[in-house]
Amino acid sequence: MKFKLTISFIFGLVGLLIFTFFAALIAVIDYRVTSKLEGVLWTVPAKIYSRPLELAEGVNINSNNLIKELKMLSYKVERDPDSPGEFNFSQNTLNIFLRGYLDQKPGLFRVTFDDSKINNIKNQLGLSEDLIKLEPTVIGGMYPVHMEDRVLLNWPEVPQKLLDTILAVEDQNFFNHYGVSLKSISRAFLKNIQAGEVEQGGSTITQQLAKSLFFSSEQTIRRKVMEAIASLLIEFHYSKEEILLAYINDVFLAQSGRRAIHGFGMGAQHFFGTSVNNLSIDQIALLVGMLKGPSLYNPERNPNNATKRRNLVLSILNKSNKISDSEFEDLRLRELGITPPNYRAEIEYPAFHDIVRLELQKNFADKDLRTKGLSIETNLDPVLQNSLENSLAKTKDQLIKKYGDKLNDLEGAAIAVDISNGEVKAAAGSTKPKSYGFNRAINAIRPIGSLVKPFIYLTALNNYDEYNLSTILDDSKLSLVSGGKVWEPDNFDKKFHGQVPLHVALWQSYNIASARLGIELGFEAVQGMFSDLGIEKEVPVYPSIFIGSFELSPFEAIQAYQTIAGDGFYTPLRSIRQIKDTKGEIELSYPYSIEQRIRPEPIALIKFAMQQSFVRGTARGYSKKQIDLWNAGGKTGTSDDQRDSWFVGFAGDILVLVWLGFDDNRQTPLTGRTGAFQVWKNFIDEIKPVTAPSTSLPRIQYVWTDLEDGLKSGEKCKNSLLVPFIEGTEPTLVPESRKRCSGRGKMSENSVIDKLKQIFEGGQS
Amino acid sequence: MKYLLKVAAILSLFFVFACSSTDSGRNISDFTIPVNNFSKTVELLISDENFLEDEILKINAQNPSVQRIIKSADDFLKQKNYIVANSELERAFRITKMDGALYLRLAHLRYKQGLLKESESFAYKGLLLPNISSWERLLLNVYLKN
Repeated sequence: MKFKLTISFIFGLVGLLIFTFFAALIAVIDYRVTSKLEGVLWTVPAKIYSRPLELAEGVNINSNNLIKELKMLSYKVERDPDSPGEFNFSQNTLNIFLRGYLDQKPGLFRVTFDDSKINNIKNQLGLSEDLIKLEPTVIGGMYPVHMEDRVLLNWPEVPQKLLDTILAVEDQNFFNHYGVSLKSISRAFLKNIQAGEVEQGGSTITQQLAKSLFFSSEQTIRRKVMEAIASLLIEFHYSKEEILLAYINDVFLAQSGRRAIHGFGMGAQHFFGTSVNNLSIDQIALLVGMLKGPSLYNPERNPNNATKRRNLVLSILNKSNKISDSEFEDLRLRELGITPPNYRAEIEYPAFHDIVRLELQKNFADKDLRTKGLSIETNLDPVLQNSLENSLAKTKDQLIKKYGDKLNDLEGAAIAVDISNGEVKAAAGSTKPKSYGFNRAINAIRPIGSLVKPFIYLTALNNYDEYNLSTILDDSKLSLVSGGKVWEPDNFDKKFHGQVPLHVALWQSYNIASARLGIELGFEAVQGMFSDLGIEKEVPVYPSIFIGSFELSPFEAIQAYQTIAGDGFYTPLRSIRQIKDTKGEIELSYPYSIEQRIRPEPIALIKFAMQQSFVRGTARGYSKKQIDLWNAGGKTGTSDDQRDSWFVGFAGDILVLVWLGFDDNRQTPLTGRTGAFQVWKNFIDEIKPVTAPSTSLPRIQYVWTDLEDGLKSGEKCKNSLLVPFIEGTEPTLVPESRKRCSGRGKMSENSVIDKLKQIFEGGQS
Repeated sequence: MKYLLKVAAILSLFFVFACSSTDSGRNISDFTIPVNNFSKTVELLISDENFLEDEILKINAQNPSVQRIIKSADDFLKQKNYIVANSELERAFRITKMDGALYLRLAHLRYKQGLLKESESFAYKGLLLPNISSWERLLLNVYLKN
């Protein structure tokens, strides 16, 4: 009796232990199933996009830049484009078969140009279209530690043909089993025997999901049991639609560098450069076929295997009446049609990415950026970005040829912004722009040299009751005590120039005239102007700041110049347009914001003086016609001992700032003109900006003045220049010596005035 | 009747403005746009925000593509979805930066968002365009004295 009790007890205890073990095992698997399916699977890295290019009637666009962009997006040149991703450009006409993006449907469009302006856009039926949209480039992402990348699809976004193909190939009985199906295993076994190859796997979709989520690929009884338990639990917790959707979003399709491509949304993007909704049946067949062996059937590495596998999937679809015989014949002969990914897996443009990241950190936690699948639409123009990077590298090579190996370590930064709305279009933080490290565009704080002068002169011109462009400044020797030391500024040419009109002192970049003007205006007034221009730093109270000892980063400096180029309207620079969540709703936008800080008339005067830098100053070299067309203006800057070479200039609708120098602050052989200006020139010559937007300033009058004494002159007089003035501030006194030539020129003066007014005021005279 | 009176008032103001826009004899320290002298009257007359909005939304863009986008922006504005309305206006702005219809809407949108200084700045910037009509000029002036 005692013995029987002991046996029963032991059996009971063992039973209890086994039960407890299995219960615990199931509980652990259940926990992993639910936490993984509701957690990690739905973590999607934020993706950073370039701006999507919209083509519309009336848009000014350089067609060469457009073609460059199409090539960057992996569009192929074809004589007669008839498939997504093909285009042809000839005789001012672009025929393009769009891949489709968001609300832009795929299709063939004809865009005709009139010089650099889009004349009209027509669709395949010959009907006019208002605008068409090109897909943006993905320029990077914010990846989680596991580096899984996916484009999350919601149920309505999954095309029926994808569902049909997955179910036909992977699990025909999906809606009728509970996660594990003996029927599926036996049917697959028989089919594969008949076909002589592996057409179907025996695992259900639920089992495949369980395997991919929790288990390694080892083939052991233990793993199969665990997988079966997990499958039953998944079926217990989730509906069939939820399981299918999780599968569609989770399947592993390829490895791209360190990035793992998961899900059909990302697969469509990676292999075909489009969204899953735009995939054709043969493309879907390829992706579904790859599930059996992502590496073996990778269309990039093993195109023959991939073609065979795709055709096998197509034959399954044909046998299950999803496609007709003729469709099958047509589809199986198609090329794979994969496009080189227009997707930059790693960070393609580090300096720009850095600016975006800093902006994002103000509003988002790092975890959210790595998991919430945010779409970050930036203002990056990929063509301008590449050109800017190339110009920096190309100019450095040219400078090394000219000055020798001592410039091997020359570094640089450049930023391009849209004058009107402050959108940052491109940024480079090194002469090796792909290197990811110190971003000089935002972090190199350097003395800005003569780039400070327009700020000083604008302070004066804004005080229009006392100063105009002809006001005489004193460029004679200056000696004063500052900080206990004698300070005696020099001009670059080591000469004194005596009495010079204000605009001449600016485009000739005379240091002493500027220093005297700054002292005359006072630190407070100059600080006020700095602040109006958007410089948040405090101006140190020592006179050398008036000739450029003041330090700014390239980004801070271009912000101030944006206010000048933008007619006195301060516009915070923006690298991001908007951020959308996975449903396409705007989560945060960075709206175009302006604040009128300086009247446009004084700004027009300083822009005129900056234009003279191009006509006769340190940025000369362009034809007058070109300068007028672009309404170009700029300023060179060289710091003490030529340690920093700067140039900032506007042309058309673009403002570009360039800095060159050494990281260790040693001397360079470069001035603003011989260094940074050459980068600017290489860039502008390559991108060829379109015409500048014009403004109407009725209170600006043009008067011929003398280049030496600044008094009224005439077109026929020597050394005269037509200079703008705010109405009522123009010089009226004509010296006796010029009365004759100024009188004779009166008739023609008006015609030139009209011409200049057209340039500055957009045809309003 | 009230509506007709308003239209008549605005038209007479428009007439007065058109007749006097060539005025140039003013103090050199005043560099604002000539129509500014009437802004107080404009403010008094156009005191009905809905009426003002109706008038602004009637201003069409010169470019058909831009017109299509601003129509969409107008719909969002009416639904008080200011973020998307702004996003649409910025799309249009990238196509053309020279259309008074856009600046009017941006000035109005910022006004609706309570950003009065920005509203004024957009209006001021719009007034610098060379090809705006006198009617657009007058409406832009309304936002200068917000």
